[in-house]
Amino acid sequence: MSAVAAVDGTVLFELPDELAIDTDVARKVIAQFIRGQLDQAGFERVVLGLSGGIDSALVAFLVAEAIGADKLLAVLMPYRTSSDASRSDAEEVVRRLPGASGEVVDISPMVDPFFASQADASPLRRGNFMARQRMAVLYDRSVTWGGLVVGTGNKTESLIGYTTLFGDSACAFNPIGDLYKSQVRQLAAAIGVPEAIIRKAPSADLWPGQTDETEAGFTYPELDRLLFWRVDKRRTDDEMAELGLSPEVVAKVDRMIATSEFKRQVPPIAKLGPRTAGVDYLYPRRRPGSARGG
Amino acid sequence: MQTLTVALAQIAPRLGMLADNLERHHLLIEEARGRGAGLVVFPELGLTGYQLQDLASEVAMRLDDARLADLAAATKDLSVVVSFVEESADHRLFIAAALLEDGRIRHVHRKLFLPTYGLFDERRFFAAGDLLRATPSRLGVGVGIAICEDFWHLTVPQVLALDGAQILINVSSSPGHDLAATNEVGLGTATSWRTLMRTYAQLTTSLVIFCNRVGVDESISFWGGSEVIAPNGRALFSAPLFEEGLFTVEVPLADLRRERLALPLLRDERPELQARELMRIVAERAGLAPDSTADDLAEAGLDVAPGDPAPEPIGFRRGSVG
Repeated sequence: MSAVAAVDGTVLFELPDELAIDTDVARKVIAQFIRGQLDQAGFERVVLGLSGGIDSALVAFLVAEAIGADKLLAVLMPYRTSSDASRSDAEEVVRRLPGASGEVVDISPMVDPFFASQADASPLRRGNFMARQRMAVLYDRSVTWGGLVVGTGNKTESLIGYTTLFGDSACAFNPIGDLYKSQVRQLAAAIGVPEAIIRKAPSADLWPGQTDETEAGFTYPELDRLLFWRVDKRRTDDEMAELGLSPEVVAKVDRMIATSEFKRQVPPIAKLGPRTAGVDYLYPRRRPGSARGG
Repeated sequence: MQTLTVALAQIAPRLGMLADNLERHHLLIEEARGRGAGLVVFPELGLTGYQLQDLASEVAMRLDDARLADLAAATKDLSVVVSFVEESADHRLFIAAALLEDGRIRHVHRKLFLPTYGLFDERRFFAAGDLLRATPSRLGVGVGIAICEDFWHLTVPQVLALDGAQILINVSSSPGHDLAATNEVGLGTATSWRTLMRTYAQLTTSLVIFCNRVGVDESISFWGGSEVIAPNGRALFSAPLFEEGLFTVEVPLADLRRERLALPLLRDERPELQARELMRIVAERAGLAPDSTADDLAEAGLDVAPGDPAPEPIGFRRGSVG
């Protein structure tokens, strides 16, 4: 584990050594990926939900680097209990990307009437509902802005299932979905995301004071390191123990991965006809004739 | 032998857009000709894009296809390697690379090794080639063509060199992955390929030309980094990663003779030894001959006897003395 220093010399974040990536190459690959996705779909613009957190801030910077900030619409979608800090951090991202368009859509009037007669609705239900309202707003803006919705979910939250199906995970393409949270931080620092955003505790901001790490029970550097060895490097139980990873935590994370497998896949279609999408009808998402206006 | 100008077309083909890619090939062939090129190399499936899946049959061409004839017609006084989906007379689809020279198709190589693991699924959509042959060429030396994964099998560069190739050409659609900061050029895939190319050039004392595409198909980014490696294993040219371009490289062909005289590895190869041992291994694997490196009680095709509590290392028979 290595400490990555901020400009003032204090620790910005902890980075497991085995997760360190070449950020120059990552930026090249991601820029090419973003341009390629848009080109194949016949789009030039991108719409993004900007929360004030590090993931969406990084994606905003990456999109601006790939195609220019003027092609980016960042939509801030606070709920009435969302933190003011999130809002001001998101606004700071828009300010740092000259030419980018920003819009605020308060989702409270979309959410509150639905739950008005269901006062006992759990925070989980409310959080999922909010995530899906935000998705609905982004896909509407995809039409008015004429841009593709870019995803901002990272590999850590995807693997443990810390996402809302058809909510925050819904997108046309995702440039950071194969980067662990620690790598998101590394790339964010390299591309110039404000340090205040890199430094603060990650949060879904579903209720005041919520943070990912207190909810999950372990820190991101620990979790990322565990996932890297378990998933990417296929280490066995014994080998995980030799790496100093607690068998109890490994077992817990294994369960989180297994129970969320469905969130990472497209829904199965009952096989009935001669050719079935996703089974034996297999085409690239974009092909001759599929590009808008192409 | 004089200097050969090699043009590497490190392009980003448009997936499934055969007409667009054909037009691009024609333009680049003319541009390369204008820059004095004698050999122009395009990447694997440069005419169709890589991640075709069920589109493969829709962009496939027979070798007598008029569009290929048009491309060949553009190669007067020029050698050009292009790659596409080839449909055989019996309707198998191959990933093919053709050497076009002086207006005709001089040689066709069908990809031998189709990766079907990890992020690859080629065997589902394509048939594997069965021929591995060097070809004479207007360049005055033999040429050996291979496609991407073919070069992850030692046999391929070796057989091509033994068959008379002095220029080994690998055309690729190599997807970049593994961004670990410890890699030589920031990309694990590139680090591996660079090692292979240098090793093959040195061990076969051949000129190695590697042309890899750039651009994106679906999730996959291709990393470029095309190279020309001299017969002593040193890089004459390394193209940038992830950037499109037509790169020309001056190659002194006389180095081939010098290197092969100074380091006569090919002269000293023992193909008959290799063939004999390979035939033995084939027979043993098929259970047609006793496996000389397996346990005494092992079944045909298996190295270790069932129920053996502590198998000894393969190759050392029980009771044998070193």
